[in-house]
Amino acid sequence: MVKRYTSMAYKAADDMIFGKSIYPVKAELGLEVGAGYVTAEVNYAPRPEAGVSKEKLVSEYRRLTTDIMARAVQVGFPAVSLETEHVEQMTNNPTWGGEIAHVQKTILEEYHEEYGIKTALRHTPGDVRENRDLLALIGDKYDVLMESFEAVADGGADFLSIETMGGKEILDYAILRNDIPGLVYSIGCLGSIDMTMIWSDIRKIADKKGRIAAGDTDCAQANTAMFIAGGLLDKNLAHTIAIIARAISAPRTLAGYEAGAQGPGKDCGYENTIVKSITGCPIAQEGKTSTCAHSDVMGNLVMQCCDLWSNESVEYHGEFGGTSVQCWSETLNYDAAMLNVATETGNAKLLRDMLVLSDKYRDPQGYVLAYDNAYKVGQAIVKNGDDLYLRAKNAAISCVDILNAADSKKLIMSKFEKNALADAKAALDAMTDESETFMSDCLEKYKAEVAVFRPDANYKF
Amino acid sequence: MDIDPSKILIRYNVQKEKAQTPEDMAAEMYPKAEPARTICAAIFEGEEDDVIEGLEKAIEGGADAIKLIDDVLMVGMKIVTDMYDQGVIFLPNVMMSADAMLEGIEFCKEQGGSAPKPKGKVVCHVAEGDVHDIGKTIVAALLRAAGFEVVDLGRDCPVDEVIAAVKKESPMMLTGTALMTTTMYAFKEVNDRLLESGIKIPFQCGGGAVNQDFVTTYELGVYGEEAADAPKMANAILAGKGLAQLKETFHKH
Repeated sequence: MVKRYTSMAYKAADDMIFGKSIYPVKAELGLEVGAGYVTAEVNYAPRPEAGVSKEKLVSEYRRLTTDIMARAVQVGFPAVSLETEHVEQMTNNPTWGGEIAHVQKTILEEYHEEYGIKTALRHTPGDVRENRDLLALIGDKYDVLMESFEAVADGGADFLSIETMGGKEILDYAILRNDIPGLVYSIGCLGSIDMTMIWSDIRKIADKKGRIAAGDTDCAQANTAMFIAGGLLDKNLAHTIAIIARAISAPRTLAGYEAGAQGPGKDCGYENTIVKSITGCPIAQEGKTSTCAHSDVMGNLVMQCCDLWSNESVEYHGEFGGTSVQCWSETLNYDAAMLNVATETGNAKLLRDMLVLSDKYRDPQGYVLAYDNAYKVGQAIVKNGDDLYLRAKNAAISCVDILNAADSKKLIMSKFEKNALADAKAALDAMTDESETFMSDCLEKYKAEVAVFRPDANYKF
Repeated sequence: MDIDPSKILIRYNVQKEKAQTPEDMAAEMYPKAEPARTICAAIFEGEEDDVIEGLEKAIEGGADAIKLIDDVLMVGMKIVTDMYDQGVIFLPNVMMSADAMLEGIEFCKEQGGSAPKPKGKVVCHVAEGDVHDIGKTIVAALLRAAGFEVVDLGRDCPVDEVIAAVKKESPMMLTGTALMTTTMYAFKEVNDRLLESGIKIPFQCGGGAVNQDFVTTYELGVYGEEAADAPKMANAILAGKGLAQLKETFHKH
């Protein structure tokens, strides 16, 4: 039985700042995350043709790791962290991921030894728990996934992470139908049930191997909503619905910490500011320096409370300024230097607030994720922290209330966004306060409507 | 600390928003006669039960169940997709309307005892090794909403299966979606295998990591930046456009 969060880690929203967390984590080669400074976390993807064999993949990661470290010392950066998000071959063949982790860590050790640069390695096995037609969260694929974590931990990965997909079979259906109870069920309930299971086991592996169970992200669901919502002119999903999905994702990502994660949370978890307000654990974030991977509408704001600053992912290839990982790691590191100067000169809160205000009114997503509002969502979550359904519903209601209370001359929303928000509020108002009723109603509804939903097999109902 | 954001950002979408509500715009486009008007309104609202109720009334009144598909259901759905193309309504509206329309079509087929001839057939798949299929789901729904028959091969679809399906179904177009850079390479293999078999149909490719530069590296590839490009491309093929013209129209960068 895990212990759920029922109180906030921070006494006030204003106490939250970039580079500092209440519970920093320390990696093997000197890097401490959340201990007073922000560090770049460089992400990358192999070229498509590198996936054809283990040898080619190992070679690709050897080259790009060396490139990143070489650039870091060339420009004099004091620290850098690397994240390897697995391509599926590396997780499905645990020895591949393990060997790549070992090759990368060996390079980091060499640079640390020669230059003293603080560094760390995160490995993120892919959530391979599915077959051609269905999610298969429990069973053979789960065992392979755990083997992969063991292998990368043995190989030297300091931080163990994953982007889990529990609940996605319902989310994919619900998000295309503005189905708010479906979002609460898929993300808040099913996602949290799966997170509780998998993070308990990841923590056991981390403890056994002397590594850090870092954190998850609701990439599979809340980011799906964010990407479908797209830019301000896109008409695929109201941004008000996307931020409701995001708010609901916070208690789901929190479930990972309750089961044993310690941070740093994963970069693409835009819900991380809410999560940090509750846990006090360090987080990675991405924004203006991840435009190589995707666009968002809060590129500066999301730096507000980051401990690692990431570029999400960039394909390894040549650019005019070097290889892509060198270019983007350099940009990340300059960002980190700026944030750290603000801290050293006593201007951190001023810079945080400038970053926030540059995006806070850009759209409803940034508005709710601004640290002052994110903190309010956190408070709503812990109010019923012991109840997975109620805390997810609370997060959604809090999000809607924050938007409805916004100054309409500053946060200007389109009619579509406002209509979607009104519909969402009506849907939330109509939802029961009884968890068991909600869970059993949803079970029947989605068993009937979503052909690929396998509740017994995946969530042990 | 706070700010007047008007100096640092512009909500162009709010500025461009039309005064008229989508509901009012749709109402102006509905057929005048009943029960077609009510059925079209039910499709716009995504109300499946109301669609069926309207169809029942129409059939009781002597309408031909199969003719209702083209004469009413497709008309109602076109109002929805036209408004989506104009940026007046959102994708979930289209999905819910498509659900209602497809249920209506099934009802008409049951009542009429036959099936209407679709505008054309499209085979859809997600690249081998890739299980991210929400993009394909949207593409398939938009194609069906536009009156095309969709053969959905699902996700993580082996190249052999794609080739076999194309040979069996003889579609007017093949679509492929992929989220990962490492899986999209399967599209090249599909392209090569189709050419080896002497099949030269447009192969619309899109999705997360897929970009125009990659798609232009194989002959049959046409890049689809948006899911909504799929029915537009299928309609362009019906209008007689060949591969070169499709690339000219849909390649934007």
